[in-house]
Amino acid sequence: MKRLLIGLLGLAIFFLNLLPAHGASYYEGKTITLIVGYPPGGGYDRYARLYAKHLPKHIPGNPTIVVQNMPGGGSIIAANHLYAVAKPDGLTFGTFNNALVLAQLTKIEGVRFDLTKFSWLGSLASDAAVLTVRSDLPYKTVEDLRKVKEAVIFGATSVADTTYTVPFFLKEFAGFNFKMVTGYAGSAPIMLAVERKEVDGRAGSYASLKPFIDRGLVRPLIRSRVSSAEIKSLPIDEDLATTPKGKALMAIRTAPTLIYRPYVAPPGTSAEALKILREAFAKASQDKELLAETEKGNLPIDYANAEECLKIIREVLNQPPETIQEITKYLKFGD
Amino acid sequence: MFDAFIQGLLVILQWHTLAVMLLGIFLGFWVGLLPGLGGSTTLALMLPFIYKMSPVEAFAFLLGMHSVVATTGDITSVLFGIPGEGTTAATVLDGHAMAKKGEAGRALGAVLMSSLMGALIGAFALAISIPIVRPLVLMFGSPELFMVAILGITSISSLSGQEGRSLLRGLIAGLLGLLFATVGEDPQAAMQRFTFGQLYLWSGLDLVPVLVGLFAIPEIVDLARRGKAIAGDVPVGHISGVMEGVKDTFRHFWLTIRCSLIGTWIGILPGLGGAVAQWMAYAHAVQSAKDATDRDRFGKGDVRGVIGPGAANNSKEGGDLIPTIAFGVPGSSSMAILLAAFFMVGLVPGPDMLNKHLVLTFSMVWTLILANIITVAVSLAVLNHLAKLTRVRGSVLIPLILFLAFIGSYTANNNPADLVTFLFFGFLGYLMIQCGWPRAPLVLGFVLGRIVESNFYISTSRYGAAWLHRPLVLLLIGLSILVMVYPFLRFRRGEATGKEAIQ
Repeated sequence: MKRLLIGLLGLAIFFLNLLPAHGASYYEGKTITLIVGYPPGGGYDRYARLYAKHLPKHIPGNPTIVVQNMPGGGSIIAANHLYAVAKPDGLTFGTFNNALVLAQLTKIEGVRFDLTKFSWLGSLASDAAVLTVRSDLPYKTVEDLRKVKEAVIFGATSVADTTYTVPFFLKEFAGFNFKMVTGYAGSAPIMLAVERKEVDGRAGSYASLKPFIDRGLVRPLIRSRVSSAEIKSLPIDEDLATTPKGKALMAIRTAPTLIYRPYVAPPGTSAEALKILREAFAKASQDKELLAETEKGNLPIDYANAEECLKIIREVLNQPPETIQEITKYLKFGD
Repeated sequence: MFDAFIQGLLVILQWHTLAVMLLGIFLGFWVGLLPGLGGSTTLALMLPFIYKMSPVEAFAFLLGMHSVVATTGDITSVLFGIPGEGTTAATVLDGHAMAKKGEAGRALGAVLMSSLMGALIGAFALAISIPIVRPLVLMFGSPELFMVAILGITSISSLSGQEGRSLLRGLIAGLLGLLFATVGEDPQAAMQRFTFGQLYLWSGLDLVPVLVGLFAIPEIVDLARRGKAIAGDVPVGHISGVMEGVKDTFRHFWLTIRCSLIGTWIGILPGLGGAVAQWMAYAHAVQSAKDATDRDRFGKGDVRGVIGPGAANNSKEGGDLIPTIAFGVPGSSSMAILLAAFFMVGLVPGPDMLNKHLVLTFSMVWTLILANIITVAVSLAVLNHLAKLTRVRGSVLIPLILFLAFIGSYTANNNPADLVTFLFFGFLGYLMIQCGWPRAPLVLGFVLGRIVESNFYISTSRYGAAWLHRPLVLLLIGLSILVMVYPFLRFRRGEATGKEAIQ
């Protein structure tokens, strides 16, 4: 009889523990994994580690966030993992290349996700792209660029990268006399080549070019539609395009840069977890300590929420087949 | 400038800075020792901690860690035959062979002393080049970098034997290495090469699983086959001491100096990457052999094969910093991460670092020096005990080494597919040893492949054929031809036939 009572007591305690404790939050005592589709040290990784540090205090229950790097395939591997392998229990989310929408659009082999089906959390920043030339060259305005006798040479990493596509599109669709030289190992070697006068300029992310512009090595001449305060007055590449097709293609190329640092959770993540995470991201992006660190570390923050991200994704994906064919011709996807 | 030099030392001797540097050294000691946990990954993981530090402290912390990784990585290479780091693979060839002969202590002594000397020379080079570094680096454009990579490839001829068949094998191995380097997406047309539809291979084969597989697995199989300890064939009481190795470094003083200079120079040239310096130093050490029988000793446990790469992989640290600080162009992938640190403390690499922030730059030089002195001093104290590990039964060590090798290959990218690469190259390495094919040329081809291809493409795309008459290019062409035929000239001079290639 005594044993029966003890057994029943034990069973009762066991079942009571299974009930959600009154007042304890969803994330109490839990660990969240933040998956980054790039190796440590790069831009995506630094943003991720920064948010991993400051998000927990904006999530009730103060969970720990651990960053896991999953590089490969230009972050397609990480995106595939988040789409199909990670559990939608709110304990995993991640970030990947903003250009994956173009990979999905042009049906790149290996893409096994649908960006519209992810549970979006938001994007931490947007990215302005600029075209710059070495300061000692006589080109001070766009009109000067149009009148050049010899081709202006731009260094680029690979044909899949903005260092290539920005001048390439201006050459194809706005008639500029540009030449691209690909093969540089990264944006820094290109800047060295600019200094050496091996190439005349470089296009790409404004954030990464800013130190060189400030130092006086290069001068920005054209920008993309997505802008930043200091370069607002420059002419926009889309406006320089001579055909509607050119304008449309440039617009499609620029669109993903509005969601430059995208964060998603696996499809089907519970509404409760999603709400908590989205609020946490919004609050963390205004957190004074975080902003102080981003100032210092040159990591601009321009938070866009989940609806805005989805809207842009859907716009880019919603293209007629002929446009998709054209895009596939001009835009390649790479690491 | 001289007072900035002294100031640099004084700022790192302050308590707080010294404390974080010691912490960095402690971290770097273990990171180097453990295969796979790389210096660059650790640097990235350390970055978030420097937000609250002043620039001097931040760099004392980061460089304190990174500059000792190549020193302790050599220890693992010697003792277990597993490269502790991507940059310490060349020390495996002769270093581990010495361990098997019971000379582990001597090898360790040599590798440590040469590492220290390499570090000192690298730091010294960094210090004196500061006034001339900008024009120096600007001299090397893509055509010149291509020629330097070709120079590296021609040193394959030294790493192979002289007899027709060995040289042929060396060349084929080198070409195979170049072929492996092409795997991945090519930058010129974004086409997938040899990826067989695998996402994993898009960015190419990663150096760490390739190296660890190529060197570790044949050693493990060999250890298992022999059924004894690593130094099993040597009679008891015969393990030679560390001091012997230290003395060796001074016996071959000029070799050490030359290899350190090679390492520094490769480091200065942006983009050549960390793995190249050690192999070119090794090839140079081989070339310095007096005659063919002397040459034959390499690969079987010649202390010179340890000193060369040991010095070069440390001196390259100082060299690497030069383009990073002066131009913001990373000399290697770890330097790319260090660049992020610059931005985080509010500095912009470039001319300012050599004017306004000269004291900080010199403090980095002193960090390199001090960190290596401390590490070598500490290591020398424990080395004789470490050397005793080569006495432990193989059946006890093998699971440990195998475990380290697997973990090492996996942690490079957290990708299980790397283990497949590791096993594939392990199998390949084993086959190569059994059939007498040299592995060193394969590694050299592999690390130089991308550099050769990209720079060649840029040179022709930008200059047409005109780059061939640039003065520095012509000089390098001449040097490459010299390096290539030098072993033949020696051979022809009638010394005894040198048949065997370096394994």
